[in-house]
Amino acid sequence: MKNRLRVLRAERDWSQAELADRLSVTRQTVNAIENGRYDPSLPLAFAVGRVFALRIEDVFTPDTEPPPARQPPGQTT
Amino acid sequence: MAAGSHLRLSGPSWFAVSVVGSLGGVWLSEKMLVRYTDPPPGGFWWVAAGLALIFLAGFAAWKLARAGVYSWLLPLAAINLGILSPGRAGDELSWRLEWGVMGLAWTLAAVLVFARLLRRSDELERRLHLEGAFCGLAAGLVGSIAYALFENRLPELRAQWVAVWLLLSWWAGYLMMAFRYGWRA
Repeated sequence: MKNRLRVLRAERDWSQAELADRLSVTRQTVNAIENGRYDPSLPLAFAVGRVFALRIEDVFTPDTEPPPARQPPGQTT
Repeated sequence: MAAGSHLRLSGPSWFAVSVVGSLGGVWLSEKMLVRYTDPPPGGFWWVAAGLALIFLAGFAAWKLARAGVYSWLLPLAAINLGILSPGRAGDELSWRLEWGVMGLAWTLAAVLVFARLLRRSDELERRLHLEGAFCGLAAGLVGSIAYALFENRLPELRAQWVAVWLLLSWWAGYLMMAFRYGWRA
């Protein structure tokens, strides 16, 4: 999963430690998320969105596009 | 050390202090206490120094927990378990009970403290410990089957060494996962 954490943090001039404090996690966890080594849990992702006043999908984007939704049987395009 | 930064050491430094305190304290105390019926000159002071070192080891372990780098408590527990050697207690029931109760009480207290620290940590560190503990369990399984295959050629297995092996492989697993997630204590 890609994320814009580093950019959003830089825009607000926050350090990793400052963001970690706001999220109640360690600085190392913020670093791991920023570097794309760790995908946060859903509650933490929501907390990230709340801290930046953004929706989750404005902060995190999947590496690959999700497959197209299957149509219900009997429907044609 | 800068003035005003009282005892501000890193995790590995406190770990080293605790190991030296444990090993030195137990060695000194044992050296003197086995001769308690015929104490050498100045024996009291050697015992006092040994106890002071053991106290220092405990203080260093407390500092590790306070600094939030409690993963160092895993190898520390492994080393102290190696020193404790409950199997060395005499064959008398009273000795066995005393060593057994003491060892179990300390182990239980250490497990409870560690569980409490783990509950207070954040989700990534809990995950590192979960995956590290899985590595420890896997290493324990592989090690025990490997031992069973060659037990007629290997020295007799002591339960205490199994616990030491599990703790050390848990810690090794934790370090591997920390490296994988780029987590630095």
